[in-house]
Amino acid sequence: MILLEGVTKVYEGGTVALRDVDLDVKKGEFVFVVGPSGSGKSTLISLLLREQRATRGKIWVAGKDITKMPAWKVPHLRRSVGTVFQDYKLLPNRTVSENVGFALEVLGRPSSIVNRQVQQVLELVGLQTKGDRYPRQLSGGEQQRVSVARAFVNRPPILLADEPTGNLDPATSVGIMRVLDRVNRTGTTVVMATHDHAIVDAMRRRVVQLDRGRIIRDETRGTYESVNGRNNGDA
Amino acid sequence: MRRLLFLVKEAFSSLRRNLLVVSAAVVSVFISLTLVFGALVLSELVKVNTARWQEGDHVIVFLKDDVTNQAETDLEAEIRSWPEVSEVWFCDKACAYDEFKQMFAEQPGLLENVDPSILPTSLRIRLHNIDTYMDVIYQLKGNAAIRKIVAASDAFDQLSSVTKALNWLALGLAIVLGIASIVLIANTIRMAIYARRDEIQVMRLVGASNWFIRVPFLLEGMIQGLVGAALAVVAIWLGQNFIAGQIPEDFIVRATVGQGFLVSRSLAVLVFGALAGVLGSAAGVRRFLKV
Repeated sequence: MILLEGVTKVYEGGTVALRDVDLDVKKGEFVFVVGPSGSGKSTLISLLLREQRATRGKIWVAGKDITKMPAWKVPHLRRSVGTVFQDYKLLPNRTVSENVGFALEVLGRPSSIVNRQVQQVLELVGLQTKGDRYPRQLSGGEQQRVSVARAFVNRPPILLADEPTGNLDPATSVGIMRVLDRVNRTGTTVVMATHDHAIVDAMRRRVVQLDRGRIIRDETRGTYESVNGRNNGDA
Repeated sequence: MRRLLFLVKEAFSSLRRNLLVVSAAVVSVFISLTLVFGALVLSELVKVNTARWQEGDHVIVFLKDDVTNQAETDLEAEIRSWPEVSEVWFCDKACAYDEFKQMFAEQPGLLENVDPSILPTSLRIRLHNIDTYMDVIYQLKGNAAIRKIVAASDAFDQLSSVTKALNWLALGLAIVLGIASIVLIANTIRMAIYARRDEIQVMRLVGASNWFIRVPFLLEGMIQGLVGAALAVVAIWLGQNFIAGQIPEDFIVRATVGQGFLVSRSLAVLVFGALAGVLGSAAGVRRFLKV
């Protein structure tokens, strides 16, 4: 579903964000990408969305080589990748339903389909009664669930989450993780960048640890910290 | 259809949000196009009025008194054969006296003292194209039968150069003010893009196509250009009617241009306005909207 081969990203000015990264994520997997700030987690996410181009190496997402993809095809790539961010990125002047429906509306889906899919996905994230609220009337956890709903309403095969619990307290974070887990169980591949120890340790999923742009650990049922104590990412 | 509606809605809601900047751009388009349109109308007025004056004889050839009938007919036939000439007619002494009487109708004393036989006969020439009068005069020069050649030459030259100057003025205004309007519209589009940066970011995230993101801004610019142009058209129509109302119908100068002219130029101005709007927003989108 996602494949990186020898990916290096060097920013203007010479900062190396990723060095020679190889990563293979299968369909339906749930992967945590962990590591301290500046280790390259967010760069990885933005490369997968083709917000930036890799300096070297090849990246396949949903079966397509996105390093060679022409710019006009990038929107199609993003339709098959849902995204969730730390700051929710909701539109304040639109209701919950409109925010979620916006993702379908800009793709030109007819309103009957929009309404039905919005209702379904709001049920999935547990907000079926709050469709008419505005984002400012919701708690942080609820807003993030709206954001997950928007990312998932188009049923993309991949969902990327960049620190989705970064602004939330531990109890609320657990709620978000339940939602992401539910999304994953529908067969969607989930890649989540985080430095939330508790969540990673509780979920026991595949953990990919980055340190200064290199993958230093890749465990199938991992914890945040390496068990044998080597290669600690400070956090 | 639904997408189109969505795009138009987006464009209008964005226009509403930036009302002040948008007004500035619209007013700029309005003033620019009013000036351009005004110059076009002025130039047309000059043309309309010269055309009217040109309805008379273009070249008058006064003949010597000793010219025989035969010589006169030969000359008339020769002139008629020239390609520049559309019409020639002979004005004999009686005809000359009629004209003289008309000219000096208010001075009966003068009329009484003039003997029709001293008035010169003449050939009156009308040309297909007034600009060729110099060629005709050149061909006639040196003919023994001719006493004097008169053409309304200076008047033609001056008027046609006024028309030309006005057309150049319109073109110059269109270019300079057009650029100013385009820049202003580009700037309003920049504001609009800034105001909607969150929405644009979300659109990108969920995979809206680049055109889908751009079209509302292009529409927005086009609407600004069109509204400015429409205001200019209204202003010129009102102005034209107002001036026409102030000047009596039988006044020596005509103050109205043809309806056909007004309609065709109004359409041109609207198209030009819309085009300036699209160009401006395209420049703004290109510069400030990275997709």
